[in-house]
Amino acid sequence: MIENRPWLTFVSHFSLLLGIGVVALPVWVALVASTHPSSAFGAGEIPLWFGDQALENWRSVFLGEASSGVDVPVWYMMLNSFIMALGITVGKLFISLLSAYAIVFFRFPFRGACFWVIFITLMLPVEVRIVPTYEVVANLDMLNSYSGLILPLIASATATFLFRQCFMTMPGELIEAARIDGAGPIRFFFDILLPMSRTNIAALFVIMFIYGWNQYLWPVIITTDDAYYTLVMSIKRMLAVDQGDIEWNHVMVTTLLAMIPPVAVVIGMQKLFVKGLVDAEK
Amino acid sequence: MNLWQGAVLMSVYFPHKKLPYLLVLPQLVITLIFFLWPAEQAFEQAFYQEDAFGLSREFVGFDNFVYLFNDPQYYKSIWVTLVFSFSVAFSGLAIALWLAVMADRVIRGKLTYQTLLVWPYAVAPALAGVLWWLLFDPSMGPIALWLQYFGVDWNHFLNGDQAMTLVVISATWKQISYNFLFFLAGLQAVPRSLIEAASIDGASPFKRFWTIVFPLLSPTTFFLLVINLVYAFFDTFGVIDATTQGGPGVSTATMVYKVFNDGFIGLDMGSSAAQSVVLMFLVGVMTVIQFRYIERKVEY
Amino acid sequence: MSDVVLNNIGKTYPNGYHAIPSIDLTIEEGEFIVLVGPSGCGKSTLLRMVAGLETISQGDLMIKGAKVNDKEPADRDIAMVFQNYALYPHMTVYANMAYGLKNRGESKEVIAEKVTSVANMLGLEELLERKPKQLSGGQRQRVAMGRAMVRDPKVFLFDEPLSNLDAKLRVQMRVEIRQLQRKLGTTTLYVTHDQVEAMTLADRLVVLNKGKAEQIGSPMALYNKPATPFVAAFIGSPSMNLLPANLDEQGICLSDRLSLPLVHDHRGSIIWGIRPEHLEVVDEANADFALRIQAVESLGAETLIHGTVDLGVKQEPMVVRLAGPHWPEINSLLWLKAPLDHWHVFDAVTQQRL
Ligand SMILES: Nc1ncnc2c1ncn2[C@@H]1O[C@H](COP(=O)(O)OP(=O)(O)OP(=O)(O)O)[C@@H](O)[C@H]1O
Ligand SMILES: [Mg+2]
Repeated sequence: MIENRPWLTFVSHFSLLLGIGVVALPVWVALVASTHPSSAFGAGEIPLWFGDQALENWRSVFLGEASSGVDVPVWYMMLNSFIMALGITVGKLFISLLSAYAIVFFRFPFRGACFWVIFITLMLPVEVRIVPTYEVVANLDMLNSYSGLILPLIASATATFLFRQCFMTMPGELIEAARIDGAGPIRFFFDILLPMSRTNIAALFVIMFIYGWNQYLWPVIITTDDAYYTLVMSIKRMLAVDQGDIEWNHVMVTTLLAMIPPVAVVIGMQKLFVKGLVDAEK
Repeated sequence: MNLWQGAVLMSVYFPHKKLPYLLVLPQLVITLIFFLWPAEQAFEQAFYQEDAFGLSREFVGFDNFVYLFNDPQYYKSIWVTLVFSFSVAFSGLAIALWLAVMADRVIRGKLTYQTLLVWPYAVAPALAGVLWWLLFDPSMGPIALWLQYFGVDWNHFLNGDQAMTLVVISATWKQISYNFLFFLAGLQAVPRSLIEAASIDGASPFKRFWTIVFPLLSPTTFFLLVINLVYAFFDTFGVIDATTQGGPGVSTATMVYKVFNDGFIGLDMGSSAAQSVVLMFLVGVMTVIQFRYIERKVEY
Repeated sequence: MSDVVLNNIGKTYPNGYHAIPSIDLTIEEGEFIVLVGPSGCGKSTLLRMVAGLETISQGDLMIKGAKVNDKEPADRDIAMVFQNYALYPHMTVYANMAYGLKNRGESKEVIAEKVTSVANMLGLEELLERKPKQLSGGQRQRVAMGRAMVRDPKVFLFDEPLSNLDAKLRVQMRVEIRQLQRKLGTTTLYVTHDQVEAMTLADRLVVLNKGKAEQIGSPMALYNKPATPFVAAFIGSPSMNLLPANLDEQGICLSDRLSLPLVHDHRGSIIWGIRPEHLEVVDEANADFALRIQAVESLGAETLIHGTVDLGVKQEPMVVRLAGPHWPEINSLLWLKAPLDHWHVFDAVTQQRL
């Protein structure tokens, strides 16, 4: 900073530490809760320090030995979550890279129409059109299937929009140089465009993965078969008992397990993620 | 990188006839099947009345809409949505701005602070709701017990305002990280020379912030306001469903929650479809605002 | 055999803008042709039509006797160096140079051999594994040239390749480009708006004005006998002094007060020109006219004197260029003689040289 004001520096650090503390508080309590037997959660009391049941709780929840209201173990739901998240991520990247490429680098009849059909979906989340989408998926016989979990969530233009922005900043002379070097549209796509956009692709990968992993309402609605349950939505089942009967230790283990993969991705790829988020949406 | 500088359409392109159609085809197909078809169904459905088993339906014109806009419950849900969304947006923006200003000031540990503040972005809304539920659980949540100790009779299962507070806190908690990142980026983009000039002019740090930094941040703030409202409108379904399920009564049933509830629980397809149509219209308006904003930014 | 033939080439952009009405140009093998002209006159458009990056709206383009109007750029056997180099940022220098050959299906060994030999020629051996970001402006320029050279094309095309370099480097690269082109003997079409670059590089110059070729010829021919006032003003620095006048029996009549004797049978309004370096300082008795000095620019080796000539009705600006340092006083008079054999006379209506 320009001038040295010790008390201001102190206020800054203090505020940030307080902020971090408040933000971390619920996770701390969840961690503590996950280390106690369910009998520790009675009326008027909740343990505030770690217990000795950690290993036991985490193991039994992970392997599905603890009663959870779902017939498949947590590791299996985790697998489902991974399949759904990766399916959504890869699918979105695939269709949006191709369509953004076509829209930016080609001129063809009905280009404008294609553009609008795609971009009309830009801000309309599945939650808004949930009932008719459900009916369409039911008509297509895709309830309780991975394609039913994945495909409808791919239908959004955010990634296409961002790739379009990214491609439009490519200098035109680069394309001309490639044409002179004998690269047709397909070579250009693989040799020049993809490698040049790899930071954006990676950043979007992170964002899309988190989006996919965290889906809640859509899986809740279209899966009735436990074999297709995802981790995040299974929480609903675990809480769907009388309030006094909730096994908080197991709920918290599940919650933490459902948080770990996306949080790890964000922290592990923080630089990329921050750049992708801030650059992309600005 | 300024993503808008290329907004003038590229003048260099490939002279191909069939390939571009092949390239847009996958996205077009997906959009048609999973977006336009459902949207069309919603429009159609909104003009029919279906019996509870979906066996027969009858054309009723604008009845569903008329009914909707005469339904006090619907106005209640609009009110709930507004209270919820603006509470989330304002508290999220205020806290994030404060933290970002502080983080922009510190010299050492900026990245560490950022890391420790961004991770809630990755937490699913439903899980955020469950985490805060535990803290506020009336019978054993530490915060609830603490509040009760001070004489606040906390029970969000019975008290609608308290239920609203809980979902607002959960939804805000998750959104702070997002706002924080944008504010921090915005602050770092404020030219150092401007701040230096102001401090040479004798402006105190507080004054500098309100007269120079904050006005320069206003595009970011406006952008975030729209994004936060959209988030609170549509992406917080999980928070509500996992904690209060719209209750007690309908005190936390937002418009999106009501679409789901009337459609899947109440099985009133016509009304649910009419509500979807209204929401789609709302999103359309928000998208236009967003684009306007983006266009204005292009001129900068 | 002529290498590149432009036959009645014209360009109309899709928005209806008529950038180039019609140009005819025959380029001999190994010739270095420079296209010059002010900004927006259509230099790039013409070059890009030759490259195949812009469609040709009218006329025929022949390279080595074959019509190539509808061929893809890659199939025309040309190579191009762009103003901002257009290097692939994610590829190493080696990969940048090798990319065109790879797309042609050359074998790895052939590619390696060609790239290495060009790299040696340009002094790029040390840089082959670097990315463009890690290079200086001059090095990037060299790589861009290397990329063009490895393809061993029939024609080199340059679009203002030196304008992103600083002045000193520009001079150095200019010399180098000329040497390389001599050595390789490759036909070259070079676009610039810098007339010094144009004069020093070209075998023949094409001066473009609003899409039309004003004059085509060797730099000295254009300097000595510019065909139009436009060329006269464009070639040479500082620009030729051009004054409106009238031609009658007495000679060139600049005003009631001042006329210069000339025997010529043309009558009517003309433009009279003389280059700053051809004006001579003489004593009052031998002078044709006087210059009222307004500004003096001393460059050491030469001095530029700006002033006005009093024509009674109006003051005409004029520049004189003298060798060596001079320190005349501002507002004093400088007596000048304009030797007859350095005069340029153009018809004011047709703009043609008389
Ligand atoms: N795609 C296009 N559509 C319409 N008009 C164009 C297009 N490209 C160029 N022009 C116009 O054609 C004319 C010639 O352009 P060109 O780029 O050839 O100029 P130039 O001589 O290379 O100028 P500079 O020295 O500035 O590069 C200009 O008036 C320009 O505005
Ligand atoms: Mg040009």
